Amino acid sequence: MDVWQQLFNLLEGVPLTLSISIISFLVGIALGLPLAFTRIYEKEISFAVDLYEKIFRGIPEIVLMLLFFFGLGTFFPLPFGSAFFVACFVLGLRSGANQSQIYRGAIRGVGDEQMIAGQSIGLSKWRSIWHIMVPQVFTFSTPGLGSEYALLIKDSAYVYVLSGLLEITTRANQIRQSTGDFITPYIFGALIYIAITFPIAYSLDRWGNRRKKKIGL
Amino acid sequence: MFEWLTNPLYWTWIFQGLTLTVEITLFGVCLGLLLGTLLSIGDIYGGRTARGLIAIYVEFFRGSPLFIQIFIAVYTVPALLHLQMDHYLLAFLVFGLNSAGYQKGYVKGAMQTILDDQMAAGMSVGMSRWQTLRHVIIPQAYRIVIPSWTNEFCSLTKSTSALAFVGLFDLTSAGLSIKGITYQVLPVWMVIGAIYFVWITGVSKLMDVIYERKKIPGVELDLQS
Repeated sequence: MDVWQQLFNLLEGVPLTLSISIISFLVGIALGLPLAFTRIYEKEISFAVDLYEKIFRGIPEIVLMLLFFFGLGTFFPLPFGSAFFVACFVLGLRSGANQSQIYRGAIRGVGDEQMIAGQSIGLSKWRSIWHIMVPQVFTFSTPGLGSEYALLIKDSAYVYVLSGLLEITTRANQIRQSTGDFITPYIFGALIYIAITFPIAYSLDRWGNRRKKKIGL
Repeated sequence: MFEWLTNPLYWTWIFQGLTLTVEITLFGVCLGLLLGTLLSIGDIYGGRTARGLIAIYVEFFRGSPLFIQIFIAVYTVPALLHLQMDHYLLAFLVFGLNSAGYQKGYVKGAMQTILDDQMAAGMSVGMSRWQTLRHVIIPQAYRIVIPSWTNEFCSLTKSTSALAFVGLFDLTSAGLSIKGITYQVLPVWMVIGAIYFVWITGVSKLMDVIYERKKIPGVELDLQS
């Protein structure tokens, strides 16, 4: 396998890396937003959100993937027997915990006055959250979300331990094993990751700044 | 299911693995803090070339997964240098260098929240720029940076589990070995996960207490960026 074949082989892993990180990111939004608002506006059950965040801050993604795939996967072949599902599941749950923290900071940034204003014109608590807070919270959290998405792309490398998903890192290791080339697959792999993460963080940051100016924050 | 927990051999393995995990993380965050401070000073006061090189360094270590960096350290570096190198040494170094890339951002952010005013104040009482950095700015920056440093500690500890896949004996390796003998997959990973959880949560709790006592009232670093 010459150098170019190696590079193309690695590039074929990009769609899988991207789809794992995009799905996990969406799962993370779906979990993170309710968690953040629960943590702030439902004081009685905020301890549960706290525990959830601590668990995903404190257990390595690799251990969770091995636990769900090889541990639960034997008892529940569906869905935990699927490597792709486990990858998105673990990274999505982890991202939900991270995003909850990001949104929490943003909610504080938007400020409590807007919630009070919403409720004063007769909206319910959750309606004012959905129609007033959420759109602004997203704008406020763009820098954090940008680095969170980049983090998901990097963490998708851990999927290697499930040894069935041919994303970039798994392919780099396969190339090393089949060709005995210890140098180029990893260097190319790292460069591909950099090429993916760099524009995302950069453009989301700029988009966020423009939006903030536009709505006068 | 959990009978294997009574076997002292497995606990020796777990302890041995945990030791490597702890050592490599602590070494990583400390080397990262030292290098990160130097990098952020270089980024603030350096010329164009220095700043460009620092930006490339940071982009490499923050833009690619630590997992790939570990493979590069353990496989690529010795192959490039045509040398037999100790895998443990390389792993320690790559964790420190990676952490420096992240901590440069944190330390620089912390320094910039206090830099302008206090640098002027320091120079006005006759201290040199370096003395002001050394005696005024950096001690305060370290107090501000504690929460980010705790985050870095957590994520670095979690990343050490990748070491099991380049053949180093960390806590996850211990889990793999025990699982290989007992076949109790689910219980083993639950126990290993719980050990990670207790260690990481305990240390971050401790760091929170330290931060509460050491923080500068009114000065907080925005963790978002």
